Amino acid sequence: MANQPAIAIHGLTKSYGKVRALRGIDLEVQQGEIFGFLGPNGAGKTTTIRCALDLIRPDGGSIRVLGIDPQANPVAVKARVGYLPGELQLDDNLTGEAQLHFLNELRGRKADWHYVRELAERLDLDLKRPIRNLSKGNKIKVGVIQALMHRPELLMLDEPTFGLDPLMQQEVLRLLVEAKRTGATVFFSSHILSEVQAVAERVGIIRRGKIVEVAGVQTLINRSLRRVRIQFRHDVDPTPLTQVPGVALLKRDNGRAVTLQVEGEMDALLKAVAAYPVVDFETERPSLEEIFLTYYADERNSHKTEE
Amino acid sequence: MWATFRHELAHMRGRILGWGLGLALMAAYFSSVFSSFEAQMAQLRQAMAYFPQQLFEFFGLDLATLTPYRFLDVKFFSLMPIILGIFAMGAGAGMLAGDEEKGLLDLILAHPVSRKSLFFGKALAFLTALILIIALMWTGFAVGMDRASLKVTPAQMIGPLVSIFAMVVLFWAIGLLLSMVLPSRRMAASGVALLAVASFFVKGMAELDPDLKGIAKLSPFTYYQGGEAAFGLNVGWIVGLLVPAAAFALLAWWRFEKRDIRVAGEGGWALALPARLRPARRRPAEARPAV
Repeated sequence: MANQPAIAIHGLTKSYGKVRALRGIDLEVQQGEIFGFLGPNGAGKTTTIRCALDLIRPDGGSIRVLGIDPQANPVAVKARVGYLPGELQLDDNLTGEAQLHFLNELRGRKADWHYVRELAERLDLDLKRPIRNLSKGNKIKVGVIQALMHRPELLMLDEPTFGLDPLMQQEVLRLLVEAKRTGATVFFSSHILSEVQAVAERVGIIRRGKIVEVAGVQTLINRSLRRVRIQFRHDVDPTPLTQVPGVALLKRDNGRAVTLQVEGEMDALLKAVAAYPVVDFETERPSLEEIFLTYYADERNSHKTEE
Repeated sequence: MWATFRHELAHMRGRILGWGLGLALMAAYFSSVFSSFEAQMAQLRQAMAYFPQQLFEFFGLDLATLTPYRFLDVKFFSLMPIILGIFAMGAGAGMLAGDEEKGLLDLILAHPVSRKSLFFGKALAFLTALILIIALMWTGFAVGMDRASLKVTPAQMIGPLVSIFAMVVLFWAIGLLLSMVLPSRRMAASGVALLAVASFFVKGMAELDPDLKGIAKLSPFTYYQGGEAAFGLNVGWIVGLLVPAAAFALLAWWRFEKRDIRVAGEGGWALALPARLRPARRRPAEARPAV
């Protein structure tokens, strides 16, 4: 049981009328990892998470959360999961504390109330204030606390830092890392790719209801195309360089500087460049954001092709 | 279930007090005012003779046998299923769909609470609230009534209140079921309100036109005793109202168990019409061919 994935999704499909929201999702999230779930709006991130919590029923495929089928035994799954919805709504008539008390009642009073107060303090949240008087950011903080307060084995967070100021974003990310240290699995979606890059070990990229990539963040970055800018002492014909396998010419500023795109290892290029008098050699890896945008650009291209 | 029940009941305390005290005052006022009519019954009959006879037939009122209690029955109990029904129809239509539309159901159902316990916790809270409101109404009668002239005891008043309870629960259950099949809480509330008003008029019109007696059998108002229940509760009619109410509520539960919990923007808010009946959707401007 210890080696079973925290989340295992195979062939998951879901349609809303004629709209096919999920077109066969295959995804495994290992226990104890922080997994970032990336995709543009409407790609199917929220639908996937809501299927895993039995809030919506899939049309096909299978889901196991902590080894349990959420459609067969939703209560057992939810008892072990902390969830933050993307469209968080709280009861405006309650204070933050009363809201958390009610949700804790639903959990059979499993929350550690000292931990709740500690979280509120760390997130700089006054629990005595009525929810109707809280800003969007403060409401998100209540949402983060309710997801964490029972120290769940699995956290499923839909945009957990959306609407928070940068300091609080950092604090929430620290909480996620701390949760992982205590053995929890963290599965979260985000549009802020720098934060995914900062905390996630692996990411899954979803596009139009299909997973198009699942990889370690570093693997993804290492595997991706690099940019190399070389400045030579005098004019150079770059043709021999562009004939190196995996190398393409992006730009030739003047006769003395070129920008190349390199796929794979650098060894062959370095050996080719060694034949020239080099003044400067810069290499740059794309950020996760740039990689994601590549997939996004592919999506737009495929849209155009379909049209 | 009990956590949901307590939370829901606490949430309804304002409505319990508002409706309960309002109806208690109304009950106390009517039961005290009508008792004073006894001395003036003869003049009252004379005055009422100037009104169209059909009006009294609509309400099932026979001037020859008019008593203060009978007048109270017509003025108070005949309208009470509609008045208290407004509360029940709104509560039924909003019990789950209201929280769903506010986006609260998503968070609640992400906790270890089954749909069944959420449904029955909320349903039990409503029934408790309704009983408390009706108990306050009974208190109004008990405090305000002049037993000598109305010729009924507070204990006898329980009968009509049971009759009201059964009617109102039926409207609640219909509202609840409609909220599980129609796209919005508002649409469900409008649907059940329309049904209630139509049933009320069908029953009243059937008093005037015997041809309508057949269709009036489908109206829940036909099985509503109202004030007459003070002199003997028709248990068959009570069961006849409560059994369909239970059936509608169970159908609503079944539907709730099967359906997706919706969030705004996810689709599914539109009425599930066959494709040929759906209004044509306009294409976005950039997708339209240039003319």
